[in-house]
Amino acid sequence: MPAPLDGPMRRVVVVGGGIIGWSAAAALRRRMPSLAVTIVPVPPPANALADLVPGTLPSVVGFHDDLGLRDEDAVVRAGSFYRLGTAFEGWAGKRPSYVHAYGTHGQPFGTASFHHHWVRAAAAAGDTAPFDAHSPAAALARAGRFAPPISDAGSPFAGIEHGLVLDLPSYAAMLSAFARHVGVVVREGAVRDVRLRENGFVDALLLEDGSELDGDLFVDATGPQATIRATMDGDWEDWSRWLPADRLLIGDGPPRAEPSALDRAVAMPAGWRWVSETPNRTAHGMLYASADLSTEAAARAFRGATGLNAPAPVTLRQGTRPEPWRANCVAIGDAAMSIEPLEWTNLHLAHSAIDRVIAMMPGHACHPLELADYNRQAAAEVARVRDFVALHYATSNRPEPFWQRAAAAEPPASLAYTLRLFAERGRLPFFEEETFAKDSWLSVLIGQGVIPRRTDPLIDTVPAFQSDQAMAGWRAAIEAALPSFPTPAAYLGAQKRQISA
Amino acid sequence: MDDVRFDGAERLRVVVVGGGTSGWMTAAAIAKLLPHRASVHLVESEAIGIVGVGEATLPHIRAFNERLGIREADFMAGTRATFKLGIEFRNWGRIGDSYIHPFGTFGRGTGEVQFHQYYARLVHAGIKLPPIEAFSMACTVARMNRFALPSTDSRSIASTFGYAYQFDAVTFAPYLRRLSESLGARRTEGKVVRVDQDGETGDVTAIVLEDGRRIEGDLFIDCSGFAALLIGKTLNEPFQDWSRWLPADRAAAMPCRTATEVTPYTSAIAMPAGWRWRIPLQHRTGNGYVFSSAFLSEDKAAQALEAAVEGEPMASPRFLRFQAGRRERSWAHNVVAIGLAGGFLEPLESTSIYLVQQAITALLELFPDRRISPVDRDEFNRVVDMEYDRVRDFLILHYHATERDDSEFWNYVRTMPIPDSLAEKMELFRRRGRIVKYREGAFLDASWVSVYLGQRVTPEGHDPRADLPSIDSLVAGLEQLRTEIRSTAAAMPDHLAYLDGYCPMKAAA
Repeated sequence: MPAPLDGPMRRVVVVGGGIIGWSAAAALRRRMPSLAVTIVPVPPPANALADLVPGTLPSVVGFHDDLGLRDEDAVVRAGSFYRLGTAFEGWAGKRPSYVHAYGTHGQPFGTASFHHHWVRAAAAAGDTAPFDAHSPAAALARAGRFAPPISDAGSPFAGIEHGLVLDLPSYAAMLSAFARHVGVVVREGAVRDVRLRENGFVDALLLEDGSELDGDLFVDATGPQATIRATMDGDWEDWSRWLPADRLLIGDGPPRAEPSALDRAVAMPAGWRWVSETPNRTAHGMLYASADLSTEAAARAFRGATGLNAPAPVTLRQGTRPEPWRANCVAIGDAAMSIEPLEWTNLHLAHSAIDRVIAMMPGHACHPLELADYNRQAAAEVARVRDFVALHYATSNRPEPFWQRAAAAEPPASLAYTLRLFAERGRLPFFEEETFAKDSWLSVLIGQGVIPRRTDPLIDTVPAFQSDQAMAGWRAAIEAALPSFPTPAAYLGAQKRQISA
Repeated sequence: MDDVRFDGAERLRVVVVGGGTSGWMTAAAIAKLLPHRASVHLVESEAIGIVGVGEATLPHIRAFNERLGIREADFMAGTRATFKLGIEFRNWGRIGDSYIHPFGTFGRGTGEVQFHQYYARLVHAGIKLPPIEAFSMACTVARMNRFALPSTDSRSIASTFGYAYQFDAVTFAPYLRRLSESLGARRTEGKVVRVDQDGETGDVTAIVLEDGRRIEGDLFIDCSGFAALLIGKTLNEPFQDWSRWLPADRAAAMPCRTATEVTPYTSAIAMPAGWRWRIPLQHRTGNGYVFSSAFLSEDKAAQALEAAVEGEPMASPRFLRFQAGRRERSWAHNVVAIGLAGGFLEPLESTSIYLVQQAITALLELFPDRRISPVDRDEFNRVVDMEYDRVRDFLILHYHATERDDSEFWNYVRTMPIPDSLAEKMELFRRRGRIVKYREGAFLDASWVSVYLGQRVTPEGHDPRADLPSIDSLVAGLEQLRTEIRSTAAAMPDHLAYLDGYCPMKAAA
């Protein structure tokens, strides 16, 4: 006979005082008011990337909505700025830079996906407009404009989405105030030790001041050292053969007069660097592999590119915990996995873990089956994010050893399958728990120069000139509308005036 | 066509072997959607009967018909079809039980917490509630024997259901044959006696008919049914046997005159060694007893069927033999098996035509060049396997989730070891009503919920978020929902009256 069902979770302890810890505490308390939530806001270490990287995916907007946070608090007052996409420069040999922006590319017509029409046109004539010219969000971003989501279904801009560039200290302060407001109890102090029970469950945290803290569930948001979760096991799935960068430099420079909502990811001889602009500052970061570049050489390269003095490099070890949730401890953010900021997935994955903890909350006994289902979903999700980021390396085309090694590594099986199927016939295989939409995959695959050998036979019934006309019409509609949109700074300025009015 | 690669001479020669439902569905789809890529030549023998018992369908078939340009009313009149809102399961959890697995949702958009979680919460609070089907538009309309097309206004409760058809499968193939031939498909009458293969690659090069005619092709579609002439007899592709979980291996089928209501749903009535279908069409009712020969003889099954049918029999029982399972690979070499040649799952959830349709869709999307790429083949097999495997678990659930101990058959299925994937799903539901999350596959959350609850697999706990609203507000909300569903359903016409106005079968058809 099955054992009687365990009762519900009552007391949750969140450890970690970066934006991941505060996000988790606020969300758990707000969305499951029956929980008593205590946070131990230990400052996250410098290598906790989800607490360190300012760029986010559009999913951040939904996370705010679920918390009941309005744009004026989460964006305007917290000093965030908008981002529409990323320009990738120098990743794929002599191919021009391309923009990965969110939302649809092209207007579907007929039964086949739009990109098949583009691929056919590109195969027939070398001078076809680039694929990203058919993305309204990419066009907006390139033109230095911005638009919020548009509800007019007839507009080409109806499907666009935006992410944010966060001002991390202000954002953390906003979340912390919000968490306190919704009733999260704050317990200052550091964790000196973790006491485990015989069955492997966390019994209590021993704090620096000698006090103890117990709970039903412990959420570990302490960054890569995983203060709580690592006391159970140190299992780690290593991704470095696909994602070879292991050092990060990060710094802020002065703002530009008219900041862009298009950030840049620029390939460098032994890594890549990003530039994200906001009205208050320009955020810089650089990833590289210590095997290819000494600390001194990296610092020179960073200064050369940004004009900033390099800080001490942050060390990262890309990979994931195969079992983020074990017993009564779930690791989230960098305690669960580490991935470089290319494509800005760090905060997204932490948010997604928080959403999943809420949606799949087990009883206080943390039954192995319930945890297995959580871990299965989490593993499927991070594997596909890893694939998407590794795609940039696997399809890179540069002469330096760093890039040659990454491109030569046999990709993870699910990415290899994706590449093979897409290169052969432009189809994307279905996987559960996919983070990036089909159009995101298309944008990067095509941008990196993976052009399908064949197109969907179903488009053959549409003559090529009709596809060309439709594509030209779509681009013209985008171009015509662009001047009517404000710059991102002007849009944000108007929001600010509205709040203070 | 401005693309010279696919002029007439370069078209792939597709040979379809077998002309039942799956053969003609495949032929029609290729002839309609890829005329520039392929010529279609179907070979069938009138001497070989078609199985054609798959008379009940899933809502997906509407998209298939639409792509082929088939007008619904015309199709329904031609196949003497009725509407189908779901399947009624009788006597499954216990003798006397009845529930409907609907094409539609329970309740309406409840945000991130599913409807059944609120329902479970109230049950746990000791509130007396009617069965969950009272909160399903599809179930309510079905129980009232009414029908109207769903509303396209997403705010209306009348938009929360879908529908499929119950039709005469024996007339569907000829219907598609006419369509296929009008689109340029060729048909040859004849029995295949030999299959020629390339000595080096093993690919099929031609089939040879009894009268000596030889038909060459580039791509062969094996729709030969259980005979599996190409995929099985020629290529020896292994068959994964699932009969330890799905032990039914026979069916006795027998149509009868309609003596009772023409219900807008199919019935699946559990029997001592299997189950019995009842599918009301416009002109007759289809009946059959799916059973396991290890527990019941054919004679006994026929007697039981004859005793059970409600109307005057129109023929004597006809027997079918099968085995649950699928080919390791449905596409091997240049042979694609579609329909029974590729796999068989009993018609308990009306998936036969659905699986055919999914295979055709995958084939269209992965249509090969003359030199077949393994990439196409692998992806096709991956997609088809996933569909079969997920339907399999769902079917096993129906047998295993039972308290019946009144026959050896039910004792076996109740106590048999089940696949781990299903055991975990059931346990997660039993604990806190969790439905294991998948985005792909024929049966999504509401389907699992209806079978679990309908067969007495009840959650002990529920999602803690379902505790947020007050009990009073939930009870009031449910009562309002139920009233709205009932009044909306009651305003719909009687099913038969709706059919008469929409798609009366042609006289002398």
